[in-house]
Amino acid sequence: MKERRYGYFSKIEEDRTWSGYPVKVFYTNDDIRKKDKSLPGEFPYTRGIYPNMYRGRLWTMRAVCGFGTPKETNERFKFLFKEGETGLDVIFDIPTMTGIDADHPDVRDEVGVQGTSLCSLPDMEEMMDGIPLDKVSSSLVITSYASPVILAFYIATAQKRGIDIRNLRGTIQNDPLHHRFCGYPEEFTPTELCLKTATDIIDFCTKNMPLFYPQNINAYDLRENGLNAAQEIAFSFAMAMAYIDACLKRGLSIDEFGPRIAFYCSAHIDIFEEVAKLRAMRRMWAKLMKEKYGARDERTMRFKFGVHTAGCSLVPQEPLNNIIRVAYEALAAVLGGVQSLHCCAYDEPLALPTKESARISLRTQQILAYETGVGRCADPLGGSYYVEYLTDKLEEEANKILDEIMKRGGMVNTIKSGWVQGEIDRSAYQYQKEVMERKKLIVGVNIFRSQEETKPLPVHRISKRKKMEQIRKIKDLRKKRLRKEVLDTLSALKEAAKNDKNLIPYIVDCAKAYCTMGEIMGIIREAYRMRYDPLGKLKSPLK
Amino acid sequence: MKRIKILLAKTSLDGHDRGIKVLSLALRDAGFEVIYLGKMLKPEEVVKTAIDEDVDVIGLSFLSGEHIEHTRKVLRLIKKEVQKDVLFLVGGVIPPQDIKKLKRMGVDEVFPAGSLIEEIIRFISENVKIK
Repeated sequence: MKERRYGYFSKIEEDRTWSGYPVKVFYTNDDIRKKDKSLPGEFPYTRGIYPNMYRGRLWTMRAVCGFGTPKETNERFKFLFKEGETGLDVIFDIPTMTGIDADHPDVRDEVGVQGTSLCSLPDMEEMMDGIPLDKVSSSLVITSYASPVILAFYIATAQKRGIDIRNLRGTIQNDPLHHRFCGYPEEFTPTELCLKTATDIIDFCTKNMPLFYPQNINAYDLRENGLNAAQEIAFSFAMAMAYIDACLKRGLSIDEFGPRIAFYCSAHIDIFEEVAKLRAMRRMWAKLMKEKYGARDERTMRFKFGVHTAGCSLVPQEPLNNIIRVAYEALAAVLGGVQSLHCCAYDEPLALPTKESARISLRTQQILAYETGVGRCADPLGGSYYVEYLTDKLEEEANKILDEIMKRGGMVNTIKSGWVQGEIDRSAYQYQKEVMERKKLIVGVNIFRSQEETKPLPVHRISKRKKMEQIRKIKDLRKKRLRKEVLDTLSALKEAAKNDKNLIPYIVDCAKAYCTMGEIMGIIREAYRMRYDPLGKLKSPLK
Repeated sequence: MKRIKILLAKTSLDGHDRGIKVLSLALRDAGFEVIYLGKMLKPEEVVKTAIDEDVDVIGLSFLSGEHIEHTRKVLRLIKKEVQKDVLFLVGGVIPPQDIKKLKRMGVDEVFPAGSLIEEIIRFISENVKIK
């Protein structure tokens, strides 16, 4: 390993961006090949999807939240709203993500640890208690597999309160191919089934929930898995194209559902590269929608996205430094024209965020929005020789990768052939090698690594007692509800699934009869000739 | 000399496997024989493979906060069923407060997120109980 000196006479030696593109010492107008003269709000929207950007409306400020029981999560929501959060962002535990109830004997250790446990309609009602669902925009971070059930719980909660679902705002992840490289085995989250229910959700929401974004393409997790900036664009666009093709096949037109597609992107630590990436994504998306899919509605061509700052860029060494990393990443997102921002909490490489760390992540956004003035002017880096050059570069590199994916048969085929996973693994290893070789520098990790031990931070732990409460609650629900209603709605759902109908209305009926997540997903699995319980322990109530 | 054989795995439902996969590749390139068994495994499956493959090192990776319970289960099985003196490592998102606890339970070393792979390689080379 190369030994380097840091201190007196130190200089910048890294002449590549974090994604590996060489950078000259300075840039001039001659470096910009694309003469994109569009203004903010004009096709291809490189400079922003609205002419007045944040003067028209600030980005939505969210903090990812979800742990323990729905009630604990609700208390955190209320705290965050009181502190000025403007949108919800809820994340679920792994049993919920895999459609398994909290009282399943094999998942007890994992109830509530990585998100909130949510198994039934009463859970959703409790989690959303006191939250005005017709006003607040909710981002439901859930696997595509469990998306139809979470959406149904959300719809049923609103309807029970007398809220017209046409007024529901927000988004659900509902991104079926995402499972294939984010840790969920095919057995737990079958691709074909998820593609079907994902299309059901889009179809249903397009017709019944016009303010809701029924699909949020998760570019973020691709990046977190180790891909670089251009790959993040190319792979997420290729996924989006697979879903668009499925919707077109169902008979929807591009301008019916196109305006409601949103993306969930990363903002990593290389500020200018990230700004360029977001600008390139807007330009590429607009052209893709117009030229390939024949969109006419400008809303279809506008690339709408949320950003989550890069969790993988944070480190446990001297964790308070992560506050600074997150602030730079959030800055990149805002300079890139983001619509909704989620800042990581600085203690995430150690444990779940505490109340205090969650508040700091929210304050990071508020300082950006109200103190720094960075949102005053749309696309403030537009016209920078360097950023314009990088925007062109990212577009060019992403297009090369996108062509390669298409040549290999599109996203579904390249996932099946293992090519996508190979690319992810290769990139992730490359990244780590560069860290090992000190080509990528991380303060406190491979430079300026302190020998002193830092005082451990307070850690947010999930209470065992609350975990048991949640398990007991679902067991009680099973006893209290009307068995006939449960069986009737589940049977109707199974029939609908066998006849390939849109399942969402049937799942909403099941939700209202207090069927649980595990039961609903189990019955759908059965209808598609899979075993009821992916873990192979529970028996179907219909048998 | 016999090559050091390492078994890496994830036992919870959690799917965050970037770290353990990258580690597998790096250890392989450093000259170790590495088996990455995968994720969502039962403790029994991990320990059975460790015995069948006669490994020298077992490493588990966690992210979602269930490291204490899962480590306890795997350790219990190792003590009961593995004859050989294997090196047992744990890594991932683990709060510093838990590192001592894990070591007291019988984990040989803990490598939290942000550890350098060269440190892991050094630790294995110096501490493996291979004959």
